[in-house]
Amino acid sequence: MDKSIFQPYEDEIRALEEEIWLLTEKYKDIRQESISFSDEDILQSTSFQRETQEETNGQESLSELKAQLESLEADLPSLMKFTGFHFTSHSKKTLERTRNRTVEKHRLSGKCHSLSFQLEFQLLEVQDNEKVSTVVSDLSIIMESGEDSNVSKFVSSTEECGDVVTFFRSLSTYAEWFEHRRRTFLHFKAKYPDIVTLPEGLGGDFIILRSPKVSGFELVIVWKIHLNEEGTTIPVLDLLPKVPEQVLENSMTSVENIPGSFRSALRLFGIEVSIENLIKVLRSEK
Amino acid sequence: AQERQEQLQEREKFLKSRIQELRQRRDALREKVRQAVSELGNLGIASEPDPREVLEWKIQKCRELLRLFRLTGISGKLSPHGISLSLHTSFEGSLLDSFHLELQERGDSGRFWLCRHSVPPFIPLERLARELLPRNPRQFLGILCRHLNTFVGRREQLRKLQEEFPDSVQVLSQNSLCNFLSFRYRIPAESSGEFQEFRAQLRYRDPTGTRPDDVTAVTGDGVAVPEHSELLRRLPLHRALRQIHDTTAGTTTTG
Repeated sequence: MDKSIFQPYEDEIRALEEEIWLLTEKYKDIRQESISFSDEDILQSTSFQRETQEETNGQESLSELKAQLESLEADLPSLMKFTGFHFTSHSKKTLERTRNRTVEKHRLSGKCHSLSFQLEFQLLEVQDNEKVSTVVSDLSIIMESGEDSNVSKFVSSTEECGDVVTFFRSLSTYAEWFEHRRRTFLHFKAKYPDIVTLPEGLGGDFIILRSPKVSGFELVIVWKIHLNEEGTTIPVLDLLPKVPEQVLENSMTSVENIPGSFRSALRLFGIEVSIENLIKVLRSEK
Repeated sequence: AQERQEQLQEREKFLKSRIQELRQRRDALREKVRQAVSELGNLGIASEPDPREVLEWKIQKCRELLRLFRLTGISGKLSPHGISLSLHTSFEGSLLDSFHLELQERGDSGRFWLCRHSVPPFIPLERLARELLPRNPRQFLGILCRHLNTFVGRREQLRKLQEEFPDSVQVLSQNSLCNFLSFRYRIPAESSGEFQEFRAQLRYRDPTGTRPDDVTAVTGDGVAVPEHSELLRRLPLHRALRQIHDTTAGTTTTG
């Protein structure tokens, strides 16, 4: 009927509208990704005292945008605090964008508690009706504390299958253990400053308990944190007594028992209680 | 008929002018994009930034960072009395199911309580929440994420197995948690073109384990096939079966 006469016009209109949408998105991407405002720029221009007339023309007003930003800026630090992940820098480049499909290249650095990481990866998002599928590929990870060969094995196997979520989850647990150790050492150092020494500081992996009564009698607790190939964190604690000769002569058996009973205590009562018990024993040594 | 003719002419005029308008807009945008691309080489921007542009840029940046949190496995946002979290699972680079939790903080105690959630019932959520949530929310989330991720991973392996071998694999039984599984599979024998039938049974005893603990693979007559059970123990299901095919049937891979 009428429709067929005007079909070519309507087709061209649809094609133009589509191209306009794509160009608008591409422009936004380019501006977003190439601009980086310096802190002074940001401070200068967000002086809202300056704004007099706001042209709305269908867009949100500046105060609406400001409210949006405030809400987002409140979410971000809470999430970082809750999860322990702090992103320190991020850059993104859109490689491909169509109606249904986006390919982006990301570079992301940050810390999980005290452990730093740097990632580069490609992100593919495909929209299929209501469902959006996201696939990570070309993953490359640099982690501090890569001296441990198991850490690098874990990192390589994660890079191979692009499993960035497993990487972050494993990193989170690994970093939490470092934090836990740090806090535990700090707690005991503060509570018993005369007995506890940390030759390698709070970040080291051992703590020395010195007997206040018997000189030369020390208990060295070694607390290592390993990450295995599958990304599981394995803490390993051990006790090395340093015993002067006379003490050995007098009470050989009880000294020999200390590491064993420490290990049992660890299993039953956990780390803090076991260390607390050792300190009590040292204090009451005759 | 006259009126009809006029109507058609009106419509045509309208469409033509619309096309004209759109073409102009399109050309203007093309120029804008071309200019933006050429400016890419320059450092920063010469002119003083427009407050609106800075705001929009910052908003966009925040949104991107919040979206990136999905890749860490946990994303979310503040809610009136607590926090609303999404736990994301993945398998071999693809993001899969997300599960939601709402945690509330009672007063200023710093302790959290579980409110609503969308975690399936065969995940021991209540027990984990009871044991860990009040004093150690991060550990609670970490362990919960592991349960969810390994569950979704096992389910995805099974799906990929069936997708890749629709005719040669038949699932006999599986449970909702996907940690107990038995299936039949057949491999074409090298020369004869006939099929060899096998049966496999897998059990994952650790709910947070990615690899099965007990694997048995037997022929139709009940004879154990240690090479198969070894592969099924070591590799994800679909890859294990791919290798079984390759080694048994020569190089007849599906490509």
